Amino acid sequence: MSPIQNTPGGLRWMPLDNAAKIYPASRSRKWSNVFRLSVSLTEPVDTAVLRSALDVTVPRFPSIAARLRRGLFWYYLQQLEHSPELREESSYPLTPMSKEEVRRCALRVIVYQNRVSLEIFHSITDGNGALIFLKTLLAEYLQQKYGLAIPAEHGVLDRREEPREEELEDSFPKYAGPVQASRKGTNAFRMSGTPEPDGFLNVTCLELPVAEVLSKAHEYGISLTAFLCAAMMMAIQNLQAEQVPEVRRRRPVKVLLPVNLRPMFPSGTLRNFVLYTTPEIDPRLGAYSFPEICRVVQHKMGMEVNPKFMSTLIAANVSSEQIPVVKVMPLFVKNAVMKAVFRAVGERKSCMTLSNLGAVKLPRAMEPYVERFDFILGIQATAPYNCGVISWGDTLYINIIRNIREPELEYHLHCVLRDMGLTATVRSNKGRRS
Amino acid sequence: MYCINCGVKLADTEKKCPLCGVTACHPYIKQEEEVPLFPGQRYPTPQLPPRTAQIIITTLFLLPIFITLLCDLQINGAVVWSGYVVGALGMAYAIFVLPYWFRRPHSVAFTALSFMAIGLYVFYINQASGGDWFLTFALPVVGYVGTVVTAVAALLHRLRRGRLYIFGGAFLALGAFMPLMEYLIVATFCRPRFVGWSLYPMTALLLLGAMLIFLALNQPARERMERKFFL
Ligand SMILES: [Zn+2]
Repeated sequence: MSPIQNTPGGLRWMPLDNAAKIYPASRSRKWSNVFRLSVSLTEPVDTAVLRSALDVTVPRFPSIAARLRRGLFWYYLQQLEHSPELREESSYPLTPMSKEEVRRCALRVIVYQNRVSLEIFHSITDGNGALIFLKTLLAEYLQQKYGLAIPAEHGVLDRREEPREEELEDSFPKYAGPVQASRKGTNAFRMSGTPEPDGFLNVTCLELPVAEVLSKAHEYGISLTAFLCAAMMMAIQNLQAEQVPEVRRRRPVKVLLPVNLRPMFPSGTLRNFVLYTTPEIDPRLGAYSFPEICRVVQHKMGMEVNPKFMSTLIAANVSSEQIPVVKVMPLFVKNAVMKAVFRAVGERKSCMTLSNLGAVKLPRAMEPYVERFDFILGIQATAPYNCGVISWGDTLYINIIRNIREPELEYHLHCVLRDMGLTATVRSNKGRRS
Repeated sequence: MYCINCGVKLADTEKKCPLCGVTACHPYIKQEEEVPLFPGQRYPTPQLPPRTAQIIITTLFLLPIFITLLCDLQINGAVVWSGYVVGALGMAYAIFVLPYWFRRPHSVAFTALSFMAIGLYVFYINQASGGDWFLTFALPVVGYVGTVVTAVAALLHRLRRGRLYIFGGAFLALGAFMPLMEYLIVATFCRPRFVGWSLYPMTALLLLGAMLIFLALNQPARERMERKFFL
């Protein structure tokens, strides 16, 4: 049976992919797993043109412009009939998506001045899929607005083409290995602070010159992602040293690094195809120096970021959904079980997520119109911080989000980078707040 | 522009340093020119929590109340035994369900309210069964225990430290009350089978309270206990 069916009306529907299944179950009134990807142009956005560009782009992406519906046994995605309405920007991004909203449309398109933002429920796709959607939408917008001829390259898809089956497939089951990885792991240090009373989310963006960061990373012989992860772990270590003076009571510092599986396994999917690796240090053994952390991160990534190890992780994730008893359990039972498991172990195994989408490439014709990209993750369900990284042109944009008042981690990260000679420019969404 | 406190480079939109909160200041840079990252003062309307769970639980409480009342009225033509069931359910509702209707229930107020609910129910039992033990026994006991527990709740709510003192004090207060309680029982029910039983719980409570206070006062002893009992 092909996983993608066509209903008589022509609207496609598909079961959720393996990684997406946890998100509807773990969603609550106060929290849902949503992320934001935005592009800022050099000129203000023309909403009429954007609307018409959206109307062209949406049918091309039946798995992304979608809504989440309940079946008796599983959730499924259903293609939208109409493109979503444009929304106005608020003082903070990523408000939780209610059950009703996800059922109507699991994708928000938000316009503010020069910026077009997508906010996407994570069951729909991951950052890489969202980036392709955003680039394609942007290409269509620029084509309509300025009459550019934009070739379908660098992740821009041809809008007039029919969606390809491989874009809509769940790639996880295809690449499950014969051995399952163990899921054991120690609980990580929990950061905490004074929660913002009204659910306000503080966004702090650190902007750094890519070339400088890259040369610094190469000085330590590691990749940019590994370098940023090491810097973040150093910052968390320093933060913990300050908050927990007693060494014996400190907890491991762990940062969850999403790993894009598309370069490892041949897959053209626009759905979720990401897994994780979690570099870890234990400050009870003493304070780690930066080069030490770099080595830990590098070797952990060397050990795990390869097709062989990832296939064991995929196998572990896929196996549980293929148990016949689990398959026939009604959805609400599955949800209750997954919710309980998520609460018990879900996010305890790491301090935060640091997701690097890498350097954005665009067709040459589009480049002069684009000023910056931003990638913002929502906060974790129970931990206050998360961090999204993306780079465009000469600049690296590190967006740190938090739901607490104190900008402790941001400050420590700034200090770590500053001590290495990397000066970040900071921007925040509290600029006009009294 | 750089932050004068922590030295981070600030975007021109920042009025305060996002990292250390110090007001940004530069004599030559006008701050209104750049567009801020997000619009100010445009907060999404907070979603009201759906009250489905509370409504369902309330119905679950109301259903047996109606059924028992109905049965009792059918059979006896008056409220005979159903009053006890209704009272018990009402008391349980006030203690366990009522706080969840509030976004941030006030722990002290609801502790006091719980004891009032218990007192009321006991009063009803006393009246319905034609007893005369409410004023001399139930009211002082419920009142005293309620006052102590409410005081503990209030102190815990107010003070961040000194838990050992608070709990130690509460145990001492309860221990000291034991003989009085025995006296009240004797005076109310006149059935002294074994006089002086209250000394045992009193001693236990007083010892426990004294030990907590001792630990609160004595830092080395506290550390030793922590070493022995840490998890
Ligand atoms: Zn500062």
